[in-house]
Amino acid sequence: MKLTHAVVLTLITLLALIFVFPLYVAVLMALKSAKETFDSFYALPSGLHLDNFVHAWKTSKYPSAIRNSLWVNLISVALIVFVSALAGYSIARRNKPMYKFIYVLFLSGLMVPFQVIMLPLYKMGKMTHMINTHWGIALIYGGFGVQMGVLFYAGFIRGISLEIEEAARIDGCSTPGIFARIILPLLKPVTATVVVLNALYIWNDFLLPLLYLQDKAFRTIPLQQYYFFGQYSSDLNLAFAYAVMGLIPIIAFFLFMQRFIIKGIAAGAIKG
Amino acid sequence: MSNLKRSIRSEMWYVLFILPGLCLFVFAVVVPLVIGAKYSFTNWDGVAPTAKYIGWDNYTQALSDSDLWAALRNTFKYAILVTVLVNLVSLLLAVLLDSYLKFRKVFRTVFFMPVAISTVLAAYIWSYNYSNGLPKLLSYFGVDMTSPLGNPDHAMMALIVISIWQGVGSPMIIYIAGLQGIPGELTESARIDGAGAFGAFRHITLPLLAPSVTINLLLVLTGSLKVFDLVFLTTGGGPAFSTQVISTFIYNVSFNSAKAGYGTALSMLFFLILVIVTIVQLAIFRRREVDL
Repeated sequence: MKLTHAVVLTLITLLALIFVFPLYVAVLMALKSAKETFDSFYALPSGLHLDNFVHAWKTSKYPSAIRNSLWVNLISVALIVFVSALAGYSIARRNKPMYKFIYVLFLSGLMVPFQVIMLPLYKMGKMTHMINTHWGIALIYGGFGVQMGVLFYAGFIRGISLEIEEAARIDGCSTPGIFARIILPLLKPVTATVVVLNALYIWNDFLLPLLYLQDKAFRTIPLQQYYFFGQYSSDLNLAFAYAVMGLIPIIAFFLFMQRFIIKGIAAGAIKG
Repeated sequence: MSNLKRSIRSEMWYVLFILPGLCLFVFAVVVPLVIGAKYSFTNWDGVAPTAKYIGWDNYTQALSDSDLWAALRNTFKYAILVTVLVNLVSLLLAVLLDSYLKFRKVFRTVFFMPVAISTVLAAYIWSYNYSNGLPKLLSYFGVDMTSPLGNPDHAMMALIVISIWQGVGSPMIIYIAGLQGIPGELTESARIDGAGAFGAFRHITLPLLAPSVTINLLLVLTGSLKVFDLVFLTTGGGPAFSTQVISTFIYNVSFNSAKAGYGTALSMLFFLILVIVTIVQLAIFRRREVDL
């Protein structure tokens, strides 16, 4: 038994090393100069050089990209939480066919692949001047996110006992009052799930920003990385410094939020 | 009368609550879908303000378009291989990391972390590793290697490896959650009755894990049928059409060949295929599940 344990541990460590290897190469590149890389690819850098990072910070508009990413994320996720929680409450508490129909509509929307609506969305964006605005892309993310969001919120609210609500209603509390005072404070766990899942997706999304935020001033991190790599394909050490700079916030977010992300994915699977 | 008024008033709040979400959804999904369906019957070029109605021409053209069939073949090859491999690897990892293993929390984080990395970065990091990192490493062992992404015979496999790297995290989490829902006494009693470790897994754990298997197969399959970013950023569909999948093909037709009408017709067919795959899969798997 001990032997098998050791063998399994060795094998899984090897696999873990393979998983980390690509990231190790990226960090190594970012810390070395082009000459050092040429001389010896895998040697550690001769000292702690942060020149690439300094240079990348100056040339890449990194602060502006971070700002755009944060801003797009903030509005989109807030919008998704707001509309999904409200709609989820209606769907969870009303038994009429109309609400059931809307619920099924949201769920079938999940099957529509982005490529199918990509062109019309682009055309609509141009017509309504939503291209190269933060609110424009946030409205689209809102429309995408509400489908999964409603699924989560309706499921969660159904699990909340009706008795408190009925008591409040007898005491003369209106529907918005009940929602704000009784339901809303209970929604924290499911909101955490909805927030992390959507934030992760929106932060890393590439195709919608490619269509909607082409203007330099509005590019999000993945998009800016895409253009930066295209521009500096001859100076890869610099490009990788930029890549690592983009990795740091999301890895930090991930390590910090891992518990919620795991819970969210597991919960999503059960609902599905 | 006042009763009726009050019930209308109370119902009104629920309608008001659902409206913002419904409007956003209609705006971002339903309207584009309807517009897309409309354009699929025209010869729209993607830029011109007007388009001519041409009936089912786009659809009949699609059926005889050999490029479309090649792209579909590539898509299904990619999706099926990714689905099978990702599920095998993540199930194996879940079984190992759910058990007694040391440092299992660290390992979980390592295997799960690539999920958080954007496909843009994954694509660049892996392209570079394929073209420089791995060949340099292998040259220490005297093995010659060129980037598989540039070779039509290996490019697809190289993409699948990246997808596995990025894709095992979430299914692994779902499998672990599923495993934790299975009471330990069941496998224990099977072991006492003389079942081997594999036998207990095959006859007890796996059937009870069926809901997780269903959802993982479904999520990974539909996800990989839709693959776009990875292909677009690494090979762009090449070399020699060997990695052209349906969504990059639609993108090229729509934006680069200025045949937007045809592109939307292709995407409608793609949507239809996805719906059929989903329904077939649900029908097959739901029947085989065991209730605890």
